[in-house]
Amino acid sequence: MSISVMTDLVVDPNIRGWVFLPIIVITFLVGIFRHYVSILLSSQKKVEIQQLQDSQIILRSRILRENAKYIPRSSFNMRRQFFNNQETGYLTQKREHTAPTMMTDPNMMTDMLKGNITNVIPMFIIGGWINWMFSGFITTKVPFPLTLRFKPMLQRGIELSHLDASWVSSASWYFLNVFGLRSIYALVLGENNAADQSKQMQDQMSGAAMAMPPDPKVAFKAEWEALEIVDHQWILQDIDNSLVDQ
Amino acid sequence: MSGSKAKSEKSSTPTVAYSEIAVRNNATVVEYCRTSMAALSGCTAGLLGLTGLHGAAFYIFTVFVLWFMINLKAGSQFNKFFMSRKALLTNGFFGQLFTYILCWTFLYGMVHVY
Amino acid sequence: MEDLSWSEARDLFRTWRETNARKSNEVLYHWHLSLNINLNKLGNEKFLIVEQVCIAAFDCYQLDVANECIKLLSSEFPQSLRVKKYKAMRYEAQEDYVKALEILDSIIKADKSNSAPKKRKIAILKAQGRYVEAIRELTDYLKTFMADAEAWQELSELYIGEQDFAKAAFCVEELILHNPHNHLLHQRYADIKYTQGGFDNMELARSYYCQALKLNPTNIRALYGLYLTCTSIATSQKASAQKKKDAIKMSEWALTKLKGSYKEKGFETDLESRMSAMAIN
Repeated sequence: MSISVMTDLVVDPNIRGWVFLPIIVITFLVGIFRHYVSILLSSQKKVEIQQLQDSQIILRSRILRENAKYIPRSSFNMRRQFFNNQETGYLTQKREHTAPTMMTDPNMMTDMLKGNITNVIPMFIIGGWINWMFSGFITTKVPFPLTLRFKPMLQRGIELSHLDASWVSSASWYFLNVFGLRSIYALVLGENNAADQSKQMQDQMSGAAMAMPPDPKVAFKAEWEALEIVDHQWILQDIDNSLVDQ
Repeated sequence: MSGSKAKSEKSSTPTVAYSEIAVRNNATVVEYCRTSMAALSGCTAGLLGLTGLHGAAFYIFTVFVLWFMINLKAGSQFNKFFMSRKALLTNGFFGQLFTYILCWTFLYGMVHVY
Repeated sequence: MEDLSWSEARDLFRTWRETNARKSNEVLYHWHLSLNINLNKLGNEKFLIVEQVCIAAFDCYQLDVANECIKLLSSEFPQSLRVKKYKAMRYEAQEDYVKALEILDSIIKADKSNSAPKKRKIAILKAQGRYVEAIRELTDYLKTFMADAEAWQELSELYIGEQDFAKAAFCVEELILHNPHNHLLHQRYADIKYTQGGFDNMELARSYYCQALKLNPTNIRALYGLYLTCTSIATSQKASAQKKKDAIKMSEWALTKLKGSYKEKGFETDLESRMSAMAIN
């Protein structure tokens, strides 16, 4: 196998017009479409007042930890007592488990369904359709040499063991587009758009930090610990001298 | 290139307080510039038919060009807008590489493969 | 007020919205002059501007303008709770508090986690002069919305009005935690501590006046405050000799600074005699 043979591989220009371009256009338009559909379907989430209170308390306790040095020690201790007191502290209170489960909360189910409609289903349908429609084509060549390890990644659907690893199959071209167009969506649709499905998946996994987790106990415990170990240093202790010395 | 606006509250002491909203705004603007730059330079590389190491070198070159341009735009007031020059250069280097490669591959394929 | 072109007015409105500037007269002026002519050209911004004008109209008691705005909004968003709030605010502006409360209660019933109508209810109590009830409602509100700095500020002002300085100080502490780089908050805290009196509070007040000055060296009120606290410490019986010496040094420093800033502006005054008139013992 010599390199000159590989570069002489001729690809039918029709593939460019009927496979290569359509894939990128379809992926892009599906992303845009997904963005608008999710705007259409998104429902204002009703927040339970208890959840709201929990998230606010965490926020306040975090601010207290960060900026404690600006208030006098007695004030800090007073607040810490409010949060962390053994019996009456907010963060140490006992609360029965009230996490809404899928079965008891129909809202959650509709939300899940909507999420599926805008995220998972297009991914499967479009991916499957592209795999079926454009299967088996060599679409393009990446302009840099790659090792053989990239072959299964870039040449999905083509089982040619002697083909140079730089050639890309149609299915792989689709997946390259799905992940590569991410920042282009940010450019076109603005930040925080819904077109970016890979990011949404990350959100699902890394635990919804924005909304309170269904069980606030864990978050409270972490916050309690962090607040407990804060060593209060009042930074205004020596401020008069430093001001006059200036 | 960057229309970055920011206020940084400066106190007379060595500790400088940054306005968090302004910092975030600046980061967004710079990110936007970076994406545009990566897409544009990717297209350029593809059209020129750069391959292999030349393309990689071209990417690094454009990253430096963008950095230089932001520096030029911010000028002497650099510290008012950003916290560190180095972070401005290195942040998002690999994140934007993907955009670059996609554009590069796309136009290279369109022009030079068939 | 100068006349602006249509797009200039739009941009000006946008900056006012972003900075929370409440320039009601100006808003109405530009609205009548230019913006309301090409309303549909605004696109999505249209309703934000209508809201802005609506609030401005309440401020200036131009209820016909407000009614017009509310009509526009409710024809576009008939079910919106946000629009309902403006209807309540119209009754509020007419001092028809019963009807306003009725609407606000219905909003709260529909959405318990909505903070805006609860705040309006407190505002109504305040407008009626029922400060004690307003304080009770506001503390109740803050039990849920603990991270709402605006509410803490309001509560601190209500407490100051009722001369409950210890509690007001607590609220300002909360504000300082939220925004530790705002010199006005440090100054306010020091003001409260100074008013409370007593040796420990004086020392605290001095530290916070210093912090305010450190953040903004041109804060004249903080300079005055620093001078007053220092002279008070210097004459206190509880202070040790060393502390008295420091306080005297500090008050002299503040005085020279004050004199310097007056001189810059071209005033020559006999500061010392005025100061002694201001001091509380």
